[in-house]
Amino acid sequence: MMAATDTLAAPPRAATRPTPAIRRRRRPGIGNVVWGVVAWLVGILFFFPVLWMVLSSFKTEAAAYTNVPQFVFSPTLAEYRHVFSSGVGSYFLNSAIATVVSVVAVLLLGTPAAFALSLRPIKKTSDALFFFLSTKMLPIVAAIIPLFVAAEAVHMLDNVWTLVILYTAMNLPIAVWMMRSFLLEVPSELLEAAEMDGARLWRSLREVILPVVSPGLAATALICAIFAWNEFFFAVNITAARAATVPVFLVGFISSQGLYWAQLAAAATIATLPVVLAGWVAQRQLVRGLSFGAIK
Amino acid sequence: MADVCYDEATCIYAGADRPAVDALNLDIKDGEFVVLVGPSGSGKSTALRMLAGLEEIDAGSIRIGGRDMVGVPSRDRDIAMVFQNYALYPNKTVAENMGFSLKMHGVSKEERQRRVREAARLLDLEPLLGRKPKHLSGGQRQRVAMGRAIVREPQVFCMDEPLSNLDAKLRVQTRTQIAALQRRLGVTTVYVTHDQVEAMTMGDRVAVLRDGRLQQFATPGELYDRPVNLFVAGFIGSPAMNQLNVDVDAGALRVGETVVPLSAAQATAVAGLSRVTLGVRPEHLSVGGGELKLQVDLVEELGSDSYVYGHLVAEPDTSLVARAGRGRFRMGETVGIGFDPGQLHLFHPDSGERLGP
Amino acid sequence: MTAVTAPSAVPVGTIRSRSTRQVSWSRRAPLLPALVFVVVVTQVPFVVTIWYSLNSWNLVRPGSRQFVGLANYVHVATDVQFRTALVNTVVLTAGTVIISMVIGVALAVLLDRKFLGRSVVRTLLITPFLVMPVAAALLWKTAMFDPTFGIVDYVLGPLVGHVVWLSRFPLASVMVEMIWQWTPFMMLLVLAGLQSMPTDVVEAAGVDGARPFAIFRELTLPHLRRYIELGVVLGAIYVVNEFDSIYMMTQGGPGVSSTNLPYYIYERAFLGFDVGQSAAMGVVVLAGTILVATIALRLIFTSFTGREEAA
Repeated sequence: MMAATDTLAAPPRAATRPTPAIRRRRRPGIGNVVWGVVAWLVGILFFFPVLWMVLSSFKTEAAAYTNVPQFVFSPTLAEYRHVFSSGVGSYFLNSAIATVVSVVAVLLLGTPAAFALSLRPIKKTSDALFFFLSTKMLPIVAAIIPLFVAAEAVHMLDNVWTLVILYTAMNLPIAVWMMRSFLLEVPSELLEAAEMDGARLWRSLREVILPVVSPGLAATALICAIFAWNEFFFAVNITAARAATVPVFLVGFISSQGLYWAQLAAAATIATLPVVLAGWVAQRQLVRGLSFGAIK
Repeated sequence: MADVCYDEATCIYAGADRPAVDALNLDIKDGEFVVLVGPSGSGKSTALRMLAGLEEIDAGSIRIGGRDMVGVPSRDRDIAMVFQNYALYPNKTVAENMGFSLKMHGVSKEERQRRVREAARLLDLEPLLGRKPKHLSGGQRQRVAMGRAIVREPQVFCMDEPLSNLDAKLRVQTRTQIAALQRRLGVTTVYVTHDQVEAMTMGDRVAVLRDGRLQQFATPGELYDRPVNLFVAGFIGSPAMNQLNVDVDAGALRVGETVVPLSAAQATAVAGLSRVTLGVRPEHLSVGGGELKLQVDLVEELGSDSYVYGHLVAEPDTSLVARAGRGRFRMGETVGIGFDPGQLHLFHPDSGERLGP
Repeated sequence: MTAVTAPSAVPVGTIRSRSTRQVSWSRRAPLLPALVFVVVVTQVPFVVTIWYSLNSWNLVRPGSRQFVGLANYVHVATDVQFRTALVNTVVLTAGTVIISMVIGVALAVLLDRKFLGRSVVRTLLITPFLVMPVAAALLWKTAMFDPTFGIVDYVLGPLVGHVVWLSRFPLASVMVEMIWQWTPFMMLLVLAGLQSMPTDVVEAAGVDGARPFAIFRELTLPHLRRYIELGVVLGAIYVVNEFDSIYMMTQGGPGVSSTNLPYYIYERAFLGFDVGQSAAMGVVVLAGTILVATIALRLIFTSFTGREEAA
């Protein structure tokens, strides 16, 4: 992971520097060292709450509740055992289904749409893009009542597939925007060359365009997965015992178990871990996605 | 292999105030190498893309081997194209790039391999067949793009500025290679460039376009010797042809103090005009020998020759360039120049059309 | 803001109209599934919401539903709590977006330098963005802002005395948590902008005698403009709809002092079961959002698609 992120962090200008042998000797940059220390301090400051959460999750309740924060303690897995024994499995399964299926659906619906707005642009492309993003701006809360009533009418309350549908709709606009920005970087001649070589559109997309934009697809999928996994508002309002996802579990855990910090920290760590790990490992994709392809 | 015919072919981009290509007529013979040349915005690339099926033919028609191409998609036209940026498939190896069209046309794997290897040998690409495009140099990519076209054995090659991404030296080398390859394969080729040297050296015939309209379609020699108008005269040849607006006086031209006699045919052509535009190529001005006085402003030494830039002493706002031997003239000096009456071009002062033979 | 699939403008000339129509349909087809899906799932409910807003309807009183015209809107207009929620929403959104952008720019500039372990620091910095918002809010509520055991009180206590942050400064506390979550996003976007900055321009400015700060102000900031705009617009889209932090940290309280519009409407609908009134609020919010969104989207459009459309 570090190797990958290192090259990413280094801007292109650093990559093309001459080899050390012929590089001009530099003054030892005191400034750089100072700024490096500052950056490390800020980084640790931002990371500290997460670190604290993870540390607390290995404490006993008594050790977690101290007036003076304790960094040295004898770790215990008791709280994790407790969380796992409270049946977190089914919540994980629901979250996994809602996340994976909605991301697949987003890519299946969003990629052709992005294609129609980039390589083979329709007229009024900007109107369509405008429309997609504007749906993101509408307050979800104003739509939740009809959605609730509709889901109830078709007996799909507390159903994980309702979440799939909602998460797909929630992520589709952003995905279309991201995919479009990635497709715009593909030279249109590539599609023309494939067409002249006798490939039909579907074939050229599959054999020529998709391999080129697959990093962009991965980035889009990652961002959509993060949003879907972390989503709480829909989940808490239209699911109950059967289809509840991990965030709902976490909230339910508070009300059923009370505010015991060590135990909650363990539950929160478990809930957070998949996305944090995925984001760390796929940092390159994360940055690409978030910057709409501005970083290659 | 086939002949290609543009018949009043027109392409209109939505929202544009004039056609990108306006009623273009070209008759391209089987096996001929035709170059479309013109400044940017002249419609040369559009004309090529219409042939390739990448732009619509809004009026008129284009025929390949007698078959009307209106409404025929690219893949059914049996055409290969070399793009300016090569458009190599980045995820495929050189061999896969070259074999892709054969695969799309259902050619068997053995046959595919045989033809790819044959084309690779022709282009010196054999050691590179397993590489991906990003591991190739610019020149190698260009050859792969060529290879992808010739593997097809198509009826027509379309080439859209295929050399413009190469450095100057490689461009000259590749220029001759492409021309030789085309003669050898005998495939009808339409080649687009903005570089008049490429056009003159490569084409059997050259079509000069401007603002979507065809100016002249002729052999390189004809374009050079008998440009049909001032635009062609100025576009072909480097440095460009000298242009002087001069008075006509009793069947002869008056340039400053000097009288330049005209041939009988030329005199007939300018009859009734009081002024004409005189065109003389730099290589047809003799420096040092004539009666016309030129003040030298700049001398460009090329090694083999030199170009002398200056203005007429009698008419200071003129500007002329002449070819001279090397090292003979200096800035600020006044030299005499002379015309060769057999090498003069006359154009109408308003329309710019050629007058006389 | 809806009709996108209206037939295209009159094609050029009459010769190509037929083929153009076929071509444009085949081009439009890939867009349709996504468009239809989004319209059905996100637009139709809003239309239904408008209808609900004209009714008086309480979910816990069956048969209470009746058409009341604009009565719900009159009620919304006179609802002081609604106005408080509106002000809170504006403050929370603007505060979060602006402050996290300022910190984000500073961090991005810091990370654009070379130093030992830069990629590790960046990994640390992006982590808050990845943490599940519900877990993050829980974390801040219990471990950071807790009046007895919280880290914030432990660190700041000696300086400012003992403060019950979530009751004394509920909105500010929520805002701190949200800034913590959104700063990494802003930082990444701006960092992307910094790294896409052509170096020759900076070198040219250096040769012209510009000092580092002048270069930053005259060249870097203008270059970063579209990245900052994108970050502000996207951040605002998500922050204006923020629900999780308030639900977890303050439940909108004390009173309505940290209630924003989404949370207020949620309370009225799912705790008060008053569908008619919450729908009316939803419509008011919708109208306001459309107004703001139109301006914001135009902004992002000119800077992000302008160059393609100009080409």
